[in-house]
Amino acid sequence: MNDRSAPAVRLDTVSKRLGWTWALRAIQLRVDRGSSVAVIGPNGAGKTTLLRVLATLLKPTSGTGAVLGIPLRDGAEAIRARVGLLSSRGHLYGDLSALENLRFAAWMGGVSVDEARLRAALAKVGLDQVSEQRAREFSSGMQKRLAFATLLMRRLDLVLLDEPYANLDSDGIRMVDDFVDEWRAGGGTVLLATHRRGLAVRKADRVAVLQAGCLHRYCRPEELEPADLDPQAEPATPPVLPAG
Amino acid sequence: MKSSLALRTWAILWKDLLIELRTKQSFSAMVFFAALVLFLFGFAVGPDTATLSRLGGGLLWIAIAFTGMLSLGRTFQSEEVAGGLDGLRMYPGEIRAIYLGKLLANFSMLVVLEVVLVPVAAVLLQLEPWGRFPLFVGITLLGTFGFSVIGTFYASLTQHLRARELMLPLLLFPALVPVFLGAVNGTTLALAGDPLDRIGGWIRLLISFDIIFFVVCVWIYPIVLEE
Amino acid sequence: MFLVPADALQGDVQRLMYVHVPAAWLAMLSFFVVFVMSVLYLIQRDPKWDLVAVSAAEVGIVFTALTLVLGSLWGKPTWGVWWTWDPRLTTTAIMLMIYVGYLLVRSFADDPEKRARWSAIIGIVGFVDVPIVYLSVLWWRTLHQPPSSPRSMAGEFVYVLLLNLAAFTLLYVYLMLRRYRLAIAERHVEELRLTRDDGRIT
Repeated sequence: MNDRSAPAVRLDTVSKRLGWTWALRAIQLRVDRGSSVAVIGPNGAGKTTLLRVLATLLKPTSGTGAVLGIPLRDGAEAIRARVGLLSSRGHLYGDLSALENLRFAAWMGGVSVDEARLRAALAKVGLDQVSEQRAREFSSGMQKRLAFATLLMRRLDLVLLDEPYANLDSDGIRMVDDFVDEWRAGGGTVLLATHRRGLAVRKADRVAVLQAGCLHRYCRPEELEPADLDPQAEPATPPVLPAG
Repeated sequence: MKSSLALRTWAILWKDLLIELRTKQSFSAMVFFAALVLFLFGFAVGPDTATLSRLGGGLLWIAIAFTGMLSLGRTFQSEEVAGGLDGLRMYPGEIRAIYLGKLLANFSMLVVLEVVLVPVAAVLLQLEPWGRFPLFVGITLLGTFGFSVIGTFYASLTQHLRARELMLPLLLFPALVPVFLGAVNGTTLALAGDPLDRIGGWIRLLISFDIIFFVVCVWIYPIVLEE
Repeated sequence: MFLVPADALQGDVQRLMYVHVPAAWLAMLSFFVVFVMSVLYLIQRDPKWDLVAVSAAEVGIVFTALTLVLGSLWGKPTWGVWWTWDPRLTTTAIMLMIYVGYLLVRSFADDPEKRARWSAIIGIVGFVDVPIVYLSVLWWRTLHQPPSSPRSMAGEFVYVLLLNLAAFTLLYVYLMLRRYRLAIAERHVEELRLTRDDGRIT
């Protein structure tokens, strides 16, 4: 079902209502394979909602879409096998060791739990010396590296990063950048959501600007207007939303 | 690229039990609370051993039920702390594994609690389970499983509800009635003797309850987690 | 209730039965309606089923409470106790708890979609539970030799009972319709109130 010629992401007037508010409004988006897209916008713009819809954690209220050529509505399972989401909280279990966290992720992700492979994955992110240490004792940078390790272990075609730069120093930021580079070098697609626009646009092929749930602009980094980076801006023309 | 349901269930069970083993906080709290309940009942009912013995099955299960309800509230806490259920939902594969894994984890913890509690209850309440021990064990396991089935289900449902500490017992209680009646009566009959052989009816009730609710809860579970 | 002459054995208290029985019947019917609406909602996700369900729950809870109160009032002079752990009465009390749980879950959930979905689940699981509860209490009671509640009635009494049943059923339907219209209006208000801040909703 994984159609190689299909774009990584295709959203067709997708809207998502959370409670009574529209978190996403009539989003039209197309992301090519192997590209890196930065999703920027102020807090509450809908960045996390967008990523969660792509990860199939949320079902669109209206509109259609496909991830890696697999339709969102029926293909959730198939999509989840090839897509990874890293949210800012990391999904690590503090009371488990680094190795145990990886083992759990491997079991859940359908990856072989060969001890050597797990250690190799830890070594790749520089955590092999602390493999037996409890995750709660790690610094936020180390926790982030462990979270990346869980993603690296699985063979993913699309990676969604939600606020990956949160709480990181310049070393940590560089680590995220390296990860994105390596991912793209392997042919994967990356969507990176952050409100730290300056950081995001450096590595991106394209930038998607979200404001109040609308896709305000989708362009190359050099084509951005100063207003796009302004948190107070409002979308030019409101889209038509489904009734009800 | 996808794990089997059994493997995913095992992974979640393993994780939860390992976390519990590491922290030990809730298990020791459970044991102390259950013992406290037994003592309080002992004081309330009075030292007459005949009365205690007669009521023993009921008192034991009240202790188990209350303690169980406390520990259920924490079933999904470890997920909240780790950043929410999104992490688990993101893995490919049958989402019911989450329910099954947590169900088995709750069941295991309750069984371990009972292993500790039954000797204590036997001493405090003058119970003698040795006579029909396999029957006693069987009923206890059936009752505990039924409790875990609906308990885990409602714990998941109420996880994101306001006033969760109130809502979980409130929702759980009506569903618990058949299990409780079955377990208490079955236990009492197993302990005290069963001249009219009524225990068969209770066992059938427990088995039916367990099967019916297991099927219903497993089937309907994905809807609980939808967004 | 007022037409029938006082029952030979039990006097005026028997008249309570003419309200108690229809109330009990309608309480259970309402519970069934909640179940059906819950299933329909989960299949079709149409909000109107959810609104019918909550109407049935609220009207049903009134009838359930009425059933219990009347049953208790009838029991005191008849059997000498306020409460007898009779299987039907006990199951009705538990049904009341399920109703209360249903309505409380709704009051604690802000998101209308979650509210509808979670209460639908409770409506379904609760409905599956009630027969099992009844059977378990019945089995429990048969072990302890309970007094049985009288069920047989002479001819003219049955006629009045059916008349009352019809009257109460009409009352039920009327209350349901009113409550349903109120529920629709409430939903409109909720929608308006929460989207008013955001002028961009079309």
